[in-house]
Amino acid sequence: MKHDMTYIHTWFADFEAEDHTITHSDVATTDLPAILVKLQRAGAMDLDKCYRGHFRKMALQSLFVSSESDYLSILRAATIAHAKAQIIEAFCQPDVHITQLIDAIDDIDEAVNLLSERLLEWHPPELENITLSITNAPPPESRMGDPLVQEFTLSVERLHELRSDIAASIVREMQALAPNISNVAGELLGARLIAAAGGLEPLARMPSSRIQVMGASKALFRHLKYKSKPPKHGLIFQHPLVRGNPVRIRGKVARLLAAKIAIAARLDFYSKEIYPDLMPQLERRISELASFTRRS
Amino acid sequence: MYVKPHKIPSVFIIGKHLATRGEAVYGEKTFGEYRVWDPKRSKLAALLKKYENLPLDTQQIVLYLGAASGTTASHLADIVSLIYAVEFAPRVARNLVRMAEQRSNVIPLIADASRPDYGHIVELVDLLYQDIAQKNQADIAIVNAEMFLRSHGYACIFIKARSIDVTAKPKAVYQSQVKKLKEIFDVMHVFDLSPYYKDHAAVITRLI
Repeated sequence: MKHDMTYIHTWFADFEAEDHTITHSDVATTDLPAILVKLQRAGAMDLDKCYRGHFRKMALQSLFVSSESDYLSILRAATIAHAKAQIIEAFCQPDVHITQLIDAIDDIDEAVNLLSERLLEWHPPELENITLSITNAPPPESRMGDPLVQEFTLSVERLHELRSDIAASIVREMQALAPNISNVAGELLGARLIAAAGGLEPLARMPSSRIQVMGASKALFRHLKYKSKPPKHGLIFQHPLVRGNPVRIRGKVARLLAAKIAIAARLDFYSKEIYPDLMPQLERRISELASFTRRS
Repeated sequence: MYVKPHKIPSVFIIGKHLATRGEAVYGEKTFGEYRVWDPKRSKLAALLKKYENLPLDTQQIVLYLGAASGTTASHLADIVSLIYAVEFAPRVARNLVRMAEQRSNVIPLIADASRPDYGHIVELVDLLYQDIAQKNQADIAIVNAEMFLRSHGYACIFIKARSIDVTAKPKAVYQSQVKKLKEIFDVMHVFDLSPYYKDHAAVITRLI
C-alpha cells in the first residue's frame, strides 16, 4: 500500500502525517527562546490547505497549549520579540549608519545656512568697527558686545566642527565598507549613492544606467512621460571627472563612471576584494574619449 | 454626539466621519472611545466611503500584506478577530510593532510578501488584504492567496497605477492587473479611489 507522507514544520512543532492523519509530532516548549529559534527558520511553504486550516487544533492536540487564547498570546509575544530583533539588526547595518551620517550632514548644512543668515541680519559685519557716525550720536553699544551674538556665533562654529567630524567618520566607514566605491566615486559621493539606493546591496544590484541618473528622477520621469531629453547624470555630477570635463563629453563620462561604480559596488558587496585598477582604467578610457571626440 | 452603526459590524458613523472603537494609536481624532477613521489616511476607509458592503466581519482572520506603520491595520483590528500583519521595511515596521503591543489581535511579521517565508506561522485566513506598491503586486496576491487564503475567501487588493507603470494610463494598468488576478480569482468589483487617492484602485475578489 502506498502512503502519502507529509512533513509539516510549524512555529510550534514538527509533524509527520500520513493520509491526512498526524502520526508523529515533535513539540517545542512554550518558552520564548525556543520559539524564537523555530520562528526564524521558514517552513511549510507548500503545505496543503487542509493542514494550514488546523494550526490551532494541531497545537491543542499535540499539547503545545491548552487553549486557543494561549496559542495566540504565545505567538503574538514571540512575533513581537522577533520583529524587534529584526528592527534592531536592520538599524545596526553599516550601510544604514552611513545613510544616517549623510542625512545628518545635509541637515547640518541646512541648519548652518539658516543660522548664518540670521546672524548676518542680527549682527552684520558692518557693526564690527564703527568709526563714523552720521548722526554724531555714539553707536548703540548694546549690540556690539552682545553675549547672545557671541553664543550664537559659537554655536554655528560648533556645527561646522561637527560637520567635519561626521565627514571624517563617513570617510573611515566607507573605506571599511566599500573600498572600491570609495576609490572610484570618492567616499562622500559613494556614501550618497549608497544612501540614495537604500543600501549597499540595492546599489550592487542596480544596473549602471540607473546609477547614472540616480538623483535626477525628476528629469528621468519627465523623459519617460513627456519624451523630453533623458538626463545625463544625477548624483554623479558631483564627481570631478564629470564636472571637470567639457559639457560635450559629460554624458559619455557619466556613463563610463556609472559603469565603473556599478562594478565597484558589486565587488564591495559580493567579494570584498580591493581592485586598485578600477580608477586608472576609467581615467584611461576617459582620456581616450576626450582625444577621440576632439578629433572628430 | 450621535453614533450610528455602519453596515459592517464594529464600524460606526459619527456625523460625516467613519469610526471604529478601540485604543487610539497614531494621533487620530477621537470621540470618547471612538477613533475617527480618515479616508485620506487609510485606503480602506476611502473604499468604505465608496462601497459599504465590503466583506468584513468580526469573525475573520486576515492576512494583511503591506501593513506599513499599522494605521489601517489598527482600525481593521478593531473590526476583525485576528490580523497577520506583514511589512517588509524595518524602519516603517517600528510603528507597526508598537501598535501590535497595544492590541491582542495583531501578529506583526517583518517579511517580504513577494517571497513569503511565513508559511510556518500564518494559518488559513478568510481575507487577504493587500496594499503593496510593487510592480508585481498581482503576482504577490496570487502567491499569497494560493498559500494562505481559504477557498472562496475574499481578497481586497489595492493597485497603485504609478508603481506599476508611470507612463501608462491608470485605467490600462488596472485592467492588466485585473486580468492577471482573474487567473485564480473571481473579480467582483473594481473601485477607483479618487478623490481620496489619485491613480489608485481597489479590487475586490473572491478565490475560485
